[in-house]
Amino acid sequence: MWSGGAAIFVLVSCVFCASALADGLVNEDVKRTLDLSSHLAKITAEIQLANHGAARVNSLTLALEAELAPHLAFIGASVKGEEEEDEGLELKETTLHGQSGKFFEAQLPSSLAPGAKLRVKVETVFSHVLKPFPSHITQAEQQLVVFQGNHYLYSPYPTRSQTTRVRLASKTVESYTKLGNPTKSEESIEYGPFKDVPPFSQDDMKIHYENNTPFLTISSITRTIEVSHWGNIAVEETIDLRHTGAYLKGPFSRYDYQRQSDSGISSVKSFKTILPASAQDVYYRDEIGNISTSHLQVLDDSVEVEIRPRFPLFGGWKTHYIIGYNLPSYEYLYNLGDQYALKMRLVDHIYDDQVIDQLTVKLILPEGARNIHVDTPYPISRSQDELHYTYLDTFGRPVLVATKNNLVEQHIQDVVVHYNFNKILMLQEPLLVVGAFYILFFTVIIYVRLDFSITKDPAAEVRMKVASITEQVLTLVNKRLGLYRHMDEVVNRYKQSRDTGALNSGRKTLEAEHRTLTNDITALQTRLKAEGSDLAEKVGEIQKLDSQLKDLVCRSCQEAERLVAGKVKKDAYIESDKTLSGKRQELVSRIDNLLDAL
Amino acid sequence: MAEHHTASDCKHKTSSNAGGSVSGNGRPNSPAGCGGSGGLSGGLTQPAGWQSLLSFTILFLAWLAGFSSRLFAVIRFESIIHEFDPWFNYRSTHHLTTNGFYEFLNWFDERAWYPLGRIVGGTVYPGLMVTAGLIHYILNLLHVTVHIRDVCVFLAPVFSGLTAISTFLLTRELWNQGAGLLAACFIAIVPGYISRSVAGSFDNEGIAIFALQFTYYLWVKSVKTGSVFWAIGCCLSYFYMVSAWGGYVFIINLIPLHVFALLLMQRFSRRLYIAYSTFYIVGLVLSMQIPFVGFQPIRTSEHMAAAGVFALLQAYAFLQYLKDRLTRQEFQTLFFLGVSLAAGVVFLTVIYLTYTGESHLPVMLRYAKIHIPIIASVSEHQPTTWVSFFFDLHILVCTFPAGLWFCIKNINDERVFVALYAISAVYFAGVMVRLMLTLTPVVCMLSAIAFSSVFEHYLGDDMKRENPPAEDSKQDRPEEGLGPNIKSIVTMLMLMLLMMFAVHCTWVTSNAYSSPSVVLASYNHDGSRNILDDFREAYYWLRQNTDEHARVMSWWDYGYQIAGMANRTTLVDNNTWNNSHIALVGKAMSSNESAAYEIMKSLDVDYVLIIFGGVIGYSGDDINKFLWMVRIAEGEHPKDIRESDYFTPQGEFRVDKAGSPTLLNCLMYKMSYYRFGPYTRLDFRTPPGFDRTRNAEIGNKDIRLKHLEEAFTSEHWLVRIYRVKKQENRQALDHKLRNIAAKQKYTSKKVLPSLFH
Repeated sequence: MWSGGAAIFVLVSCVFCASALADGLVNEDVKRTLDLSSHLAKITAEIQLANHGAARVNSLTLALEAELAPHLAFIGASVKGEEEEDEGLELKETTLHGQSGKFFEAQLPSSLAPGAKLRVKVETVFSHVLKPFPSHITQAEQQLVVFQGNHYLYSPYPTRSQTTRVRLASKTVESYTKLGNPTKSEESIEYGPFKDVPPFSQDDMKIHYENNTPFLTISSITRTIEVSHWGNIAVEETIDLRHTGAYLKGPFSRYDYQRQSDSGISSVKSFKTILPASAQDVYYRDEIGNISTSHLQVLDDSVEVEIRPRFPLFGGWKTHYIIGYNLPSYEYLYNLGDQYALKMRLVDHIYDDQVIDQLTVKLILPEGARNIHVDTPYPISRSQDELHYTYLDTFGRPVLVATKNNLVEQHIQDVVVHYNFNKILMLQEPLLVVGAFYILFFTVIIYVRLDFSITKDPAAEVRMKVASITEQVLTLVNKRLGLYRHMDEVVNRYKQSRDTGALNSGRKTLEAEHRTLTNDITALQTRLKAEGSDLAEKVGEIQKLDSQLKDLVCRSCQEAERLVAGKVKKDAYIESDKTLSGKRQELVSRIDNLLDAL
Repeated sequence: MAEHHTASDCKHKTSSNAGGSVSGNGRPNSPAGCGGSGGLSGGLTQPAGWQSLLSFTILFLAWLAGFSSRLFAVIRFESIIHEFDPWFNYRSTHHLTTNGFYEFLNWFDERAWYPLGRIVGGTVYPGLMVTAGLIHYILNLLHVTVHIRDVCVFLAPVFSGLTAISTFLLTRELWNQGAGLLAACFIAIVPGYISRSVAGSFDNEGIAIFALQFTYYLWVKSVKTGSVFWAIGCCLSYFYMVSAWGGYVFIINLIPLHVFALLLMQRFSRRLYIAYSTFYIVGLVLSMQIPFVGFQPIRTSEHMAAAGVFALLQAYAFLQYLKDRLTRQEFQTLFFLGVSLAAGVVFLTVIYLTYTGESHLPVMLRYAKIHIPIIASVSEHQPTTWVSFFFDLHILVCTFPAGLWFCIKNINDERVFVALYAISAVYFAGVMVRLMLTLTPVVCMLSAIAFSSVFEHYLGDDMKRENPPAEDSKQDRPEEGLGPNIKSIVTMLMLMLLMMFAVHCTWVTSNAYSSPSVVLASYNHDGSRNILDDFREAYYWLRQNTDEHARVMSWWDYGYQIAGMANRTTLVDNNTWNNSHIALVGKAMSSNESAAYEIMKSLDVDYVLIIFGGVIGYSGDDINKFLWMVRIAEGEHPKDIRESDYFTPQGEFRVDKAGSPTLLNCLMYKMSYYRFGPYTRLDFRTPPGFDRTRNAEIGNKDIRLKHLEEAFTSEHWLVRIYRVKKQENRQALDHKLRNIAAKQKYTSKKVLPSLFH
């Protein structure tokens, strides 16, 4: 068993690194805060360091208890500047001989002179250190958890004075260790001050209290970021979610859940995910379709999705979903000529105080991206790059795959990916489409134009030829009929205007056009004859009828002339016109019939 | 949007008709009005080009209209698989795409029919899954990364376009191009077909109607041409149909019927002989390649007609041959000899079959008798009402007899076919609602013929008459004015009918056939929509929060959905092949709790899932289906379950205080109303425990469960899941593989035979 001790770090100026602890650093005053109000243990220590040694100190060592170290999700240290400016320290993991636990070495921005003092703030977040006890509860019961830690700051340096303040989630506390007679107020417990604590001291702290905050854990998340140079970045997160609080024992009663407000108080009904402000086309679904119980709220600086799993999550229950959205690339993608840089969050907000057990990030770059270089904000393990094929891809898009375990909110930081991309490649996909359509149309053209039948059918060929000729004949004949109608109009106009010139010119054009048309038809007729079709006779007949028709037209024309000239009376003209038009009617219908027969 | 499409579609129908009538007259319509305008473009002077462009456009628009009017559910809800059977099809398609074709053919599904399992590969028509899988495979080969679900959802709408095209082809063969285009437009939007092919309804029928129409087209084509090429095409299409739907039996009976009718009508020809002989032999061999069909085509009675007609056709052809060679006298003797010989053979075969019991007719009857409660319990197996004829076909149901009459009046080989098709389909559609589907295409074709002929008459003549008056002097016009008026009135009326048809189709599609039934929607007073997603809530809970090998007992309706969405083992499902198993589940549901517990223990049940609509007034819940469970259970266990016990002495089925005590204490009742007694909605007009579906205050409010506990209830109480408790006072045993000592095995082998001798 472990001898206890809350989290902690110590600063030591360590000239020779590692185990040289007697270098004179002392924790003058330590204020620890243990925030246990959520399902995380967030431990902050503000340390007043003094160099009591003789030499200048360049770095200090932070220590974590062996019991807590495996649960460490995040550690960060900063120096409190004079001007209230915090300066982050870079941490490097080291080992100390003969001591258990985890150690980090921090380089100080400027070396600490003997006798000088420094204020350092160390922030750590631990996941899965609050253990539900009892581990199984019914729907009506409250969730109680146990925290085990260290009363003292775990440090390689001696401590002169320290206080520890524990923030809890509720007033209800079953039990807590009473070292140094702590004072308990509403939702917090104050320990200390403890004086002159030797280095590496541990004393078991144990707090058993009620905590109904959602114990949500993302057991695994795969974040896929697909970059398109056409202006879009698609983000998709596949999330496995689990309630890691006390297991639900016995039945789940919907009646109680709906009627009693304190029923299932530790269960998770919904939570909020904050997406970037420019997120569009948000979807929230799982294997069996859209999850209809969600709401989207577009705010000025973000898009909030109220994620409600299909069912309330009780202890031990899990769910799985996919959330995805599109982002405009101009906000995240920068370029200088062929050089591109993508700056995006490696992991984004899912819910407040999130815990991610396992993260996989897949960054899909455009096809043809080269010289890829990644700058991560914290170490992350890269896997073998993959290739991804999607719409219109030919040789695949490079995919960067990276994984990391145990992440919390503090890990929401930007990753920068640099790569080279030749802009000509942008044309590749449109050209591909154009090419495909070209080939398609070309094939159709070839297929339609060429004859692929294995047997020749001369009869069919002749038939087709004849059909095309008859079609031409039809149009010509119709045109000719049109000419007559036109002539009628001319005659009518003449009757009113008595303009002989117009009539004559109309007649001339009629004659001329009629001659060419008739000649054309005769030529076609001979061709028909050559094909051996009996339609030629019919065309001949049409020609005969047509010549009669033309005579009639001419006659009506003459009649009109005579009428205008006053050679015939109006009555007689009307009479003759009637007979003429009757005849014409008859002829036209006969031609029509013949045409129909064609 | 879809409405817009259908409206435009309607317009195109009329224009298509104009095109059709023009082709009928074989005359370009350019001279009509535009007089002597000589400068027409080259395209106009080539009517053939116009015609094909017009046909292409109309078919394309019909496809588009058909596709988009099937998307209501996707737009209103989402791209999701509907109903029950499609979930199984989707699940098997998913299996096919993830595990490959051979793995799919050999798939033994141990998640269904626990503890029996189901040989899926050998008991499905794989056409649908293979089609969807193939499309998915090709798309992925081209790096079009489409999820298989989307392929499945949109398969039926896409195939509706192909159906429209094959209907066009078939109608063109039967009548003319104009009628074909009309028929294509009709089939694209007719509700009778949409009911089975909306987006998400991933069922066999979606592709089978296309295969059916295409097979018929190829058959008509091969009868017309007498070419082996078309006949082989027909066989391949038939093979696809066999692989897709059990309705292929309709084809294999209708085509022989056609041949038989042609023989009776003295219309035997070499073309017919070639077509049918090829079709029968190749089609038979091909159809036997489907594992589920296997040797049925040479064994079962429903395929015998085809064989009989084949033999008859050979005999007929042989006689024809002899007729040319022999004298009349010789021929007559031979004929009588042949006929008596054939009669004898038939007689002996019947005797033999009856004697050996190989005839399947009695077997089928027996089978049906046992299954009657199950078959009858399916709503789509009910006889069709008159209303649903009108509902599904609207004006077409009135006009198609006219088309049939036109066909019979100008009869030829292929019109005999369509007449037979129409008559048989009408008969089947009258027997079962479900078979409305086979009626729909023929109704569309015949109505198109009717409309087309009417338009041809009234629109076509109009132009002819219009021609002379244009040339004539003005005096003649008043005399002829009446004719065109009547014609235009008739035309307008027809167009009105078509327009109303389009509106009706859209309305029916939108209101009746576009609900996924997995997701329910309710509307508030202000028109806003509430989505009730209880089914998926509960199924997903099962999927995520129960043991992977948990066995879920439910009524068979939900078997496919549980397997598809919850991915858990079910006891019975919609493939109702084992009646006694279903009866056992029915018995468990209708017994009291302790008797049910024994059954559930023997079936290794971990969870029981029921549907309860009392809170929101959902009428399709398990209490309303309960009598079927009782009936089916009674069929197998008449001693334990009696239907009369569940009725009040007055013979009513009531859930309130007056209900029969057997009902009020059976497992289904208890599970449905557990903790419902104190439940009240916010309105205080109703007493606590008021069932909104049956409008009654429940009779048994103090329900305690001994062997079960509530595991999950969805938000609106629609789905309730109960956990079957392990037996008390014993340690829960893990289900380990049984280890039978080798010794025992040998002894049992020796002992068993002696027992029987």
